[in-house]
Amino acid sequence: MTAKQHLTRFSAIVLPLAAVVGMSTAAQADEWAPTRNIEFIAPANPGGGWDTLVRTTSRVIQEEGLAERSFGAINVPGGGGAVAWAQIARDSGNPHKLFATSPPIILVPLAGASRYDHTDFTPIARLITDYSIVLVRDDSPFEDLPSLIEAMEENPQLSVGGGSAPGSMDHISMAGLAAAAGLDAAAVNYIPFSGGGEAMTSLMGGHVEAVITGAGEASGQLGEGSELRALGVSAPERLGGALADVPTYQEQDIDYTFDIWRGVMGTPDMPAEAVAYYEDLFAQMLETDGWEQAREQLGWIDAYQDSEEFGAFLDEQKEEFSTILGDLGLLGE
Amino acid sequence: MEAFNNLMYGFGIALEPINILYVFAGVFAGTVIGMLPGLGPISALALMIPLTFGMEPSSGLILMAGVYYGAIFGGSTSSILLNAPGVAGTVATSFDGYPLAKQGQAGKALAIAAYASFIGGTVSIIFLMLVAPLLGRVAVSFGPAEYFSLMVLGLTAVVSLSDKSLVKGLIAAVVGVMISIMGIDLQTGTERFTFGTAHLLDGIEFLVVALGIFALAEVFYMLLKGGGGKEQPRNAIGSLKLSKQEIRQIAPPVGRSSILGFFTGVLPGAGATIGSFLGYSMEKRLAKDGDTFGKGNIKGVAAPESANNAACTGSFVPLLTLGVPGSGSTAVLLGALLVMGVSPGPAMLVDRPDVFWGVVASMYLGNIFLLVLNLPLIPLIAKILDLPRPLLLALILIFCMIGVYGMSFSVFDLLLLLGFGLLGLGMRLFGFPAAPLILALILGDIMEESMRRALQISGGDWSIFIDKPISMWLLIIAALSLVLPLAKKVMVKARG
Repeated sequence: MTAKQHLTRFSAIVLPLAAVVGMSTAAQADEWAPTRNIEFIAPANPGGGWDTLVRTTSRVIQEEGLAERSFGAINVPGGGGAVAWAQIARDSGNPHKLFATSPPIILVPLAGASRYDHTDFTPIARLITDYSIVLVRDDSPFEDLPSLIEAMEENPQLSVGGGSAPGSMDHISMAGLAAAAGLDAAAVNYIPFSGGGEAMTSLMGGHVEAVITGAGEASGQLGEGSELRALGVSAPERLGGALADVPTYQEQDIDYTFDIWRGVMGTPDMPAEAVAYYEDLFAQMLETDGWEQAREQLGWIDAYQDSEEFGAFLDEQKEEFSTILGDLGLLGE
Repeated sequence: MEAFNNLMYGFGIALEPINILYVFAGVFAGTVIGMLPGLGPISALALMIPLTFGMEPSSGLILMAGVYYGAIFGGSTSSILLNAPGVAGTVATSFDGYPLAKQGQAGKALAIAAYASFIGGTVSIIFLMLVAPLLGRVAVSFGPAEYFSLMVLGLTAVVSLSDKSLVKGLIAAVVGVMISIMGIDLQTGTERFTFGTAHLLDGIEFLVVALGIFALAEVFYMLLKGGGGKEQPRNAIGSLKLSKQEIRQIAPPVGRSSILGFFTGVLPGAGATIGSFLGYSMEKRLAKDGDTFGKGNIKGVAAPESANNAACTGSFVPLLTLGVPGSGSTAVLLGALLVMGVSPGPAMLVDRPDVFWGVVASMYLGNIFLLVLNLPLIPLIAKILDLPRPLLLALILIFCMIGVYGMSFSVFDLLLLLGFGLLGLGMRLFGFPAAPLILALILGDIMEESMRRALQISGGDWSIFIDKPISMWLLIIAALSLVLPLAKKVMVKARG
C-alpha cells in the first residue's frame, strides 16, 4: 500500500469531523478554490513546532471562516521530517496537500539524511518566526552573553544544552553565535536533548551550564519566580511580552541574528493558481483577530513572505547553513 | 488546610455539570481506547484537540486528562484477557494477568487490576495535590547521570525476570537493547540498524514489539500446540470477589507500587511503562513466593496496575508545575493547553488556579467513575474468553493488526509485527523469557542516551556517575540487588 493511501485512509476518519466544524464558511471569489478538503501535514509527532503551526493555522482558518474547505491536520512523523517529505514528493501537482516547514527542510538534506530538499517542493508562504534564546540558571555567575562566551573560551568543556540533534537548529544557532563572537564553532560542547523542555529541565537541575532553545518555548519559563535567566535573544531587536527585558546579541556587541522561521510548502509543481490561492489565504489569516490572539499566546512573530520571496529566502538560508555545517564538519555527502 | 481549601475550590469547578460530563466522556473514551491494543493515549489525545477548541481551558484539560488516565486504566483489560497489551504501560500486567485468565480467574485478575488502578490513581492525586509544587525540585534533580543509574537499577530486574536460565534472560535483554537503539542516534545523527530503509529511521514502535512478542506469539503457540482449533473448556471467568486473605496479600504491593509509580511518573521521560516494570520487579523480589510471579500471582497484577496509574498522574507534576512535558502524552497536553491560551509553568498555580485545581479535583471524580464503570462491565467483557478457540485467536490477530496499523498507518509495521510474532514463538519454544527483552527495550535507549550525555558533560570522566549523590545511591542499590540474592543462596547452601 502506498503512502498516499495511508493518508487518505487517515483523512477519511479525521476530515469529516473537521468538516462539521468548518462548514459555515464564506464563499471565495477566487479563480481557483479547493474542490475537496486539504491535507495539512505536520512532518512530526503531535506536540512539536510543526504540529502546533498546522493545528493553530487550521483552527484560525476555520474559526474565521476563511476557506470553504476544511484543513485536516495529519501527522507523518519520522526521520526528522524525511519520511513525510518522501511521501509528499511522490504527490507531484496535488493542489490539496500542504505541509508545515522550517529550517530542517534545509538542514536535514544538508546533513545527508533526506533525498529531498526545499527545491523539490513548492514554497507557499513564510508565516512566522521565532528566535533563539540563551538561558542560564538564575544563580549562575554569568550575567551577560560576553561573560558566558569568555567562560566557554577558557573551558571548552562548558556544556550548552539544546533541544535538537547535532547539526539541527539549536546547534547551528549556538555554533553561529560562537563563531560570531570569535570562538571556533566546532568547539562548543553542545549537548543534545530531545526537546527544548527536556533541555530546560536539565538546566534547572544544574546538569548543564547553559541552554539554547526557542524563545517562544522559553517565554513560559521566564518572569516572576523563574529559576532561569535569559542572557540574549537572536532577534534583530528586542521581543515583547515576557521577553521585553532580554537584550539582543547585537546589543551585547555580537553581530549575529538567527531566525527560526516557519512556513508552508506544497507538493512539487503545484499549479500556480493554487499557490496564489493559498498565498492569499494565509495572508488574510495573518490579519485576523483570532490569529493575533494565538500568535501572542505562542510567542510567534509575523514574518510573512509570499511564494516567490520565500523561495529566494530559502536559497539564501541554504548558503548560510552549509557554511556553518561545513565548519562543524557535519555536512553529509 | 490550604490544600483543602484549594481542593474545595477545585471541586467547585470539577462539579459543574458540564465538567462532570467531560470527566465522564473523557474516562469512558479513554477506557475504550485503552482496551483496544495499539490505539494509545497519544493518538487519542491528538484526535481530541479539535474538540477542545473554544472550551474553557480547565474543561479542555479535564476532558483530555480523563482520556489519558482512562486509557491507562482500560489498557489492563486486553493485557489480561488476550495477552495483548492495550497500551505500553500495561505490558507488565500481562505477565501474571494472562496466566490468571488461563487458569479461569480472569474475573479476579480484572477486579484486582481495577482496584489497584483506582488506589494507585487516588494515592497519587493526593500526592499531586499536597506536594506538587515541591516536587518540581525532584523532577529537575534528575540529570543524565541520574537517569543512567536509574536505568541500570531497572535493568538489574532482568535477573529476576529470567525465570529458568539467566544466560537466556541476558541474551534476550541484549536483543532488547539492540532493538531499542535502532534509528537515528540523537547524539551524532548516525543511522543505526536501519538497513537503509526510511521506515526504520525512527526505530521501532514499542507496541509493535510488545504485541508481536506477547499476543501474536501466543496465537502462534496455541495454533502449534492446540491441535487445529479444538475447543478447550475454560472455567469461565471465575469469581470477582477477593477473599480477606487475598486483600491482605495485595495491600502492601499496591501501597508500595503506588508511591514508587508516582515518583517514577514525576521524572520527565520515565512514565507509566517504566513505573509498571519497576513496581513489578520490586514486588517480585520482595515477595516470599517470588518464583510464582509470571505464573499467575495476583500480586503480579496488583503491583504494575497501581504503579502505572500512579505514574500517569505523577506525570502531570512536571507538566503543571514546570511547564515541561515528561512524556509523549503530556507533550500533546502541553500543546493543547498552549492552543487554548494557557501556558503551563511555574506561574500557572498563581495565574490559572482554576486549571490546576479543577483538573486535580476532576481526577478524583474520574477515578471513581472508572471504578464504577469498569467493575460491572468485567463479567461482560470477560465473556470474550468463552468464545471458541479459533474465533478467539482470529480476534486477537485482528486486534493486533488494527492496533499496529492504526498507530502508524504503515504496512511495514504489520510485517514487523509478524516478524516479532515469529521471534516470540521461537523464544517460547527454546525457553527464552520475553520479559527481559521488553524491559531492555524500554530502558535501553534512555540508558544509552543518558550515559553518553553525562559523559559529554563531564568531558569523558566516568566519576560523574559516583560524584552525584542520587546517581551513586541508585548504583549502590543496583549492585546490592544483584549481590544480595546471590549471597542469600550461598548462605542457604552453607547452612544446608
